[in-house]
Amino acid sequence: MNLGISALRYVEEVKNGSFTIEEFISKTVEQIKKHDGKLHAYLSFDDHVIEQARNLDRKIANKEKIGSCFGMPISIKDNICVKGGKTTCASKMLENFVAPYDATVVLKLKSEDVIIIGKTNLDEFAMGISTEFSAYGTSHNPWNTDYVPGGSSGGSAVSVSAFECIASLGSDTGGSVRNPASFCSVVGFKPTYGLISRYGLISYANSIEQIGPLTRTVEDTAFFLNIISGFDPNDDTTIDNKNEDYLSNIDAGVEGKKIGIIKEMVGQGTDKEVVSATNNAIKKFEELGAKIEEISLDMIDYSVASYYTITSTEAGSNLARYDNLRYGYDFPLEGYEFNSYISKARKNFGPEVTRRMILGGFVPSAGYAGKYFLKALKVKKKLTDEINEAFKKIDFLIAPTVPVLPFKIGEKIDDPVALFLLDFNTVIANLTGKPAISVPFEISNGLPIGIQLIANSMQDKPLLQAAYALQNTVKLPEVPI
Amino acid sequence: MVSKEEIENVAKLMRIELDDHIVHVDRVQKMIEYFDILDKASVESEEFDVQEKSITKLREDKYIPYDEKLIEALKNYKENYVRAPKMV
Repeated sequence: MNLGISALRYVEEVKNGSFTIEEFISKTVEQIKKHDGKLHAYLSFDDHVIEQARNLDRKIANKEKIGSCFGMPISIKDNICVKGGKTTCASKMLENFVAPYDATVVLKLKSEDVIIIGKTNLDEFAMGISTEFSAYGTSHNPWNTDYVPGGSSGGSAVSVSAFECIASLGSDTGGSVRNPASFCSVVGFKPTYGLISRYGLISYANSIEQIGPLTRTVEDTAFFLNIISGFDPNDDTTIDNKNEDYLSNIDAGVEGKKIGIIKEMVGQGTDKEVVSATNNAIKKFEELGAKIEEISLDMIDYSVASYYTITSTEAGSNLARYDNLRYGYDFPLEGYEFNSYISKARKNFGPEVTRRMILGGFVPSAGYAGKYFLKALKVKKKLTDEINEAFKKIDFLIAPTVPVLPFKIGEKIDDPVALFLLDFNTVIANLTGKPAISVPFEISNGLPIGIQLIANSMQDKPLLQAAYALQNTVKLPEVPI
Repeated sequence: MVSKEEIENVAKLMRIELDDHIVHVDRVQKMIEYFDILDKASVESEEFDVQEKSITKLREDKYIPYDEKLIEALKNYKENYVRAPKMV
C-alpha cells in the first residue's frame, strides 16, 4: 500500500477494494508514530480514528451511502476549530481551549466522510513563516530535517509531504499556505477572498486571510475546493460561487493564454536556483502554447510594509479578546489591579505575537496612523488597481512562490526584516484578494522550489487549469524519508 | 526614526509588560524602521476602500438555539453567570 497516493487515487482504490479504510488509516498512524517524533507536524491527535475507519468500512460492506472522501486521512491547522478537540493556535494562551463547534470547512469535510487525524503545528497565531514561532517547538522539513518547513501552515505541509495524511487545510494571510507548500514540495492554494468560509478560523487579519488546502496534486486541490468553497451564512464575506465544479476540464491547458512575469520578483534578492527554476517554468509554459510578457507593478516595493502594517493593526484588535475571561488562562479569583490583570494575561503570548501586538497598537495610533496605517491602505488600493489593470491584458501572473530556497532552522529568526521580505512574492495576492497557487516544480540540491501562479478574482478554475498544466510538465523525486 | 521610549509607551498603553527589551523593543523598532519605506510611495492623492454592506444583505436577525451549555467549559462560573476575577 502506497501512503503517497493522491486523494483522487485513494478514492478509486477504496472503491476498487484495493485496501480497506482501516488498513490505510492504520498504516498512516504507523507512519506518524515512526516519523512525527522528528518532524513534529502534529500538535494533537484524534484517538478514535481507527474506530471511525471501521464504521466507514462497515457502511461500504453494507452498501450504505458514504461521503465522497471515503475516510481519507486529513489534517487541520490548529487555528481552525474542530469540535471537542483542542485548538491551540500553537500558543500557550489557548493551551487548554477546546473548540465548542466545528468550523464550516470542517463540517463540510466531515459531511463527506474525511477522517481528521489530528491538528497541525503553526507559528503562534499564524504569525511567522517557518513554524519557529510555535510555542510547542519547530516542525522540520521532511526533505532535510535541519531545514524549516516554511510557515505558518508548516505542520500541514509537513504532514502532507511526509505521508502522514493525504491532504490538509491551512490558512493563508500573506503566503502561509503557499510558502510551506513550496518548501515541502506540495501544492498550496489560496482562493479568491471570500471563496471559502472562515467561520471557525481563529481570526488574525480578517480583511485578507483565507483558508486553503495543501495537497499532493492540483486535481486534489480542485477536489477539496469543490467540497469546501461557497457561500456560508456564518461568514458574511463569503461569495456564492454557484457550485462551480473546479475539477471538470482541469486538463483544459494554457494554449493561447497570456502569462505575465512580475519582473521585480525574479530580480535582486532572489536565489539564483530559484530564478533558474522560474525561467524553466516559463519555458514550459511557452512550450505549452502560452504567451509570456514582462510586467511591472509600481506599488510592489511597498507591498510587504503595507501588508505588515495592516495585519499588525488587525491582529492588535483581534487578539485583544484574550483577556483571560472568555479565553486564555484561568487565574484564581483573587483581587487584581485592572492593568496588571490584562498584562498578566498577555504574558501568555510568545515573543512574535507580543511584537505584533505592539506594532498593532503603534501603526494606527493617533499621530502615526497617517504615516503608516492609512498609507498602507492606500498602497493596498493602488496595488489592487494596478493588478486589475494588468489582468485586462493577461490571464495569469507567474513568480517563484518564495524568493529563496528553504533555510536552516535558526538561520533567519533574529532578523525581522529578512523574515518580512520572504513574503515579498506572496503578499500581493492577499492584499488584492486574488487567488494564487504554489506548484512544486524543482528540487535543487535536495531542497524544493515551488512556482506561484496568480489569477484575477473568481478565476480560481482557470488558475487550477494552468497549475495542472505546469504540474504535468515535471516529475519530481519522492521525499527522502 | 521612532524612539524606544515611544514604543515603550505604546506597549504600556497596550498593557504589555516588556521584560526583555532586546527581544521586543529593538526588534519592533527595526520593523517600524522598515515600514518607513511607505514614505516613498506616491499615494497621497489615493483613496482607500472601505468595505460596505447594505443592512438588507445581512443575515436574518434570528435566534439560533445552541444545545450545549458553553458556560460549563469555563473554570469559574455560577449558574448562568461568568465569575470574573475581583478587580481592586
